[in-house]
Amino acid sequence: MYGKIKKRSGIVRIAFLLMILLLLTGCWNNRDLTEINIVAGIGLDRTEDGKVLLTVQVVEPAAIQTVSSGKGKGGGAQPKPVFVESFEGETVFEAIRGILSIVDKRLFFSTAQVLILGERLLQKGMVEVLDFFQRENDINYGMNILVAKGVTPGEILEIENDMDSIPAVYIKETAENTVSRGTVKKTTLIDLIKDIDSGERQPAIGQITKAGDKEIRTEGVAVIKDEKLAGWLDPYETRGYMFAIGEVKSAIVNIPVDKGKIAMEIIRSKGKAKVRFENGEPSTLTIKVEVEANVGAYEGRGRLDSQDDLSILKEILKNEIKKEITQALEKAQKEYSSDIFGFGSYVHKYHPEYWKKVKKDWNDIFSKLPADIQVDVKVMRTGIIKSPVKKDE
Amino acid sequence: MVIMKTGDNNMTERKRIRKRIKVRNQSTGHDNTHTDSCEPIPETVEAVKERLGEIFFGCSDFLHREVSCGKNGLIKILVAYIDGFVDKKVLNRDVIHPVLDFLSNTELHVGSSIYELLKECVIVNNDIKEANDMQQAVDNIISGEALLFIDGENKALVIGVKAPQGRQVEEPDTEASLRGAREGFVENLLTNTVLIRKRIKNPNLKLEMMRLGKQTKTDICICYIKGIANDKIVSEVRKRLRKIKTDAILDTGIIEQYISDIRLSLFPTVGNTEKCDKLVAKLLEGRVAILCDGTPYVLTVPYLFIESIQATDDYYDHAYFATFMRLLRLTALLISNILPGMYVALVSFHHTVIPFKLMITLAASRQGIPFSPFTEAILMIIAFEFLREAGVRMPRSIGQALSIVGAIVLGEASVAAGIASNLMVIIVAITAICSFIVPPLIRATMLLRFVFLAAANFLGFLGVTLVAVAVFIHLCRLRSFGVPYMAPISPLTLSDIKDSFVLVPIWAMVTRPRILWQKNVSRRKGTNGQEAKAKS
Repeated sequence: MYGKIKKRSGIVRIAFLLMILLLLTGCWNNRDLTEINIVAGIGLDRTEDGKVLLTVQVVEPAAIQTVSSGKGKGGGAQPKPVFVESFEGETVFEAIRGILSIVDKRLFFSTAQVLILGERLLQKGMVEVLDFFQRENDINYGMNILVAKGVTPGEILEIENDMDSIPAVYIKETAENTVSRGTVKKTTLIDLIKDIDSGERQPAIGQITKAGDKEIRTEGVAVIKDEKLAGWLDPYETRGYMFAIGEVKSAIVNIPVDKGKIAMEIIRSKGKAKVRFENGEPSTLTIKVEVEANVGAYEGRGRLDSQDDLSILKEILKNEIKKEITQALEKAQKEYSSDIFGFGSYVHKYHPEYWKKVKKDWNDIFSKLPADIQVDVKVMRTGIIKSPVKKDE
Repeated sequence: MVIMKTGDNNMTERKRIRKRIKVRNQSTGHDNTHTDSCEPIPETVEAVKERLGEIFFGCSDFLHREVSCGKNGLIKILVAYIDGFVDKKVLNRDVIHPVLDFLSNTELHVGSSIYELLKECVIVNNDIKEANDMQQAVDNIISGEALLFIDGENKALVIGVKAPQGRQVEEPDTEASLRGAREGFVENLLTNTVLIRKRIKNPNLKLEMMRLGKQTKTDICICYIKGIANDKIVSEVRKRLRKIKTDAILDTGIIEQYISDIRLSLFPTVGNTEKCDKLVAKLLEGRVAILCDGTPYVLTVPYLFIESIQATDDYYDHAYFATFMRLLRLTALLISNILPGMYVALVSFHHTVIPFKLMITLAASRQGIPFSPFTEAILMIIAFEFLREAGVRMPRSIGQALSIVGAIVLGEASVAAGIASNLMVIIVAITAICSFIVPPLIRATMLLRFVFLAAANFLGFLGVTLVAVAVFIHLCRLRSFGVPYMAPISPLTLSDIKDSFVLVPIWAMVTRPRILWQKNVSRRKGTNGQEAKAKS
């Protein structure tokens, strides 16, 4: 008898524990995939009268299926794989809710590949706008953020491209290609939020422009200061900046030599931004970059047989990279006075007391400090051949 | 009989069983077709004939022959048997002929017992027993022996002239294997015991007979290797078998239901096999087998969860391959349970975890489907179960028609008509394929699949997790003849992991599964009686 009672209370206990689990559910609305609009890209801008302008690019899955399986190619009008809708609102949230009045199904933002910010939005500051994206639960924190230069986000999302049926995917993948070349920076939503939140580093966001009717171009970065757009870096400066923060994965650096041009392929690169302190005050900004490179192509008739040839090569490449970094740093210091390199985070980490004092004025201090840039280059291989086939004796 | 007569225990055990059966029969039978356990065999053949005629009234297959012989035709002998059950040729050659010959040619001295003479000198058969009362006599007749009643004796001779019954030993249909013996058990109990004995040539292989079923009086045989099997488990098997109170034992499946630890569990706690080599391997691990006359399926206990993913081929092949197959089977088991549920949870709740491109594919395949994923899944799974069941029930010759209809209707037409999505067809197909990989658990997974599906539709991944947790708690609570069902994983028995979801080469498998608590753990030591005794 006793055993039976004990057994039953065990079952009751387990059932009770399982029931408690029911309280832990977050969102439990059962919504079918066919009842949502899959958002591929989001654009945010402001109108001239200061309202938030939301643009969404929504995928039509069935249309994509027919495009990719070739069923629709036989004739007749092909269904468009995506549609783009815009809506104005006082706040982002209002715009997002308001857009439901013109689309048929609830928007699902978690799939968004890119978030494109407009210039006008950045000029007024973006923190308020981004708040919604941090608060909402089904936002993908890993989505790419780009800043539209010279065009509105809406215009970019509306392009039709043959390379990928979904323009947002085309944009995202193009941007990622360029990242590997070192001429644009990949900024995800979570990176941006972290940078703004800590104040140790000013965000630099990749830039996107239109190139013709059907293509976009992602090169250069937008420099942000105090959550507002401060200016732009061109592709070469961007690469210098990327070298300094150690984010160049592979890039081609052309260097002039006396008998032609050599394209050096960077295969590995490390960069570190530090601040040297003297008597408790920062004295110099140091950037230390280590680069490993291969000879990609030699357009000329020089020789590459000896160790000496290579060491000359090394020297030239070193100077070239140094030049790019210097340009980027100077622009960030003199023109924008915005610490996009993240020297601040070094100071915060190693001199926290000092950091507390200067946190607010760090950008000004940063822009006045002299810089010491060290580049260490290793030329690893010259490819299968050494000297060009046709070479001078 | 193949029953071993060496072990004294066995004999006493059998007598006790007999007694029980007798007692039970005594308590039920009252009309004149039943016999009292103590009813003596009448001394005159006439009376015996009359009594047997009463008992077997209306049994057209009951035959008897009265022989009057002796020089003056005064000695009467009655041979009684069931038609078709005994080999008439052998009966004539070995019994009737010698008896007639003997009695008509021999002068009988006063006081010499014909009974003893016949038993010892005349009958050429070597399987002769005695029946001391009517009950025993009737029991023997109906189990296919020939009975010889002699005038003036209250005993009868039981002569084993059973004709070979049933089909030949064949390869079992239900358990295919790439390698290993092709012999499967048949419906005849004695053939089966011979098949086992052939593989274990050791008097320690014990075969204990008993009879179950008030009406059917089916022969049941408990089989184990003394010195390896745990005595407690053996006696537990005996105890549970004796507790069975039923009219009929038609298959071991009925026994299985009676002796399971938790009778309402979805999961089998009693194993069954048709393959001889598999059964022998289980006996050698220290398990106990229950054979039943009339069915080729032999039960093995204790039966643990891990046995459902073990196959005989595993042990005959390289360990790498076997380990891979075991993991594959485990994965298949998991998939066949939760895949439809996971899919429903994914497309109904957790859109955020679907990668972008997959999501577009999913959404595109679901476009225009009028049902919710849950309804769609239920419809498709039920359609598949129809197909499967039809495949089992229908006559073999129309199988082709079914497969065509099944493939076209389920696979093509439902998608083309926009009733089911491509993906759902794939999901159901994978689930179905996977469910066939682990045959012992087909029934459990079939039902659990729906539970997972319902939970997924209600709570998404959380629901799937809850059901999984509940199932695991249940599995860990299950016992098979006192042995934890999830062993060797829970409780963790490190030495038994060697033959679980991984498999070590057979030469490294030195010990038997420890969880069964055998007496003789090492596979390398002999199992003859003395050694076992010394150990215990």
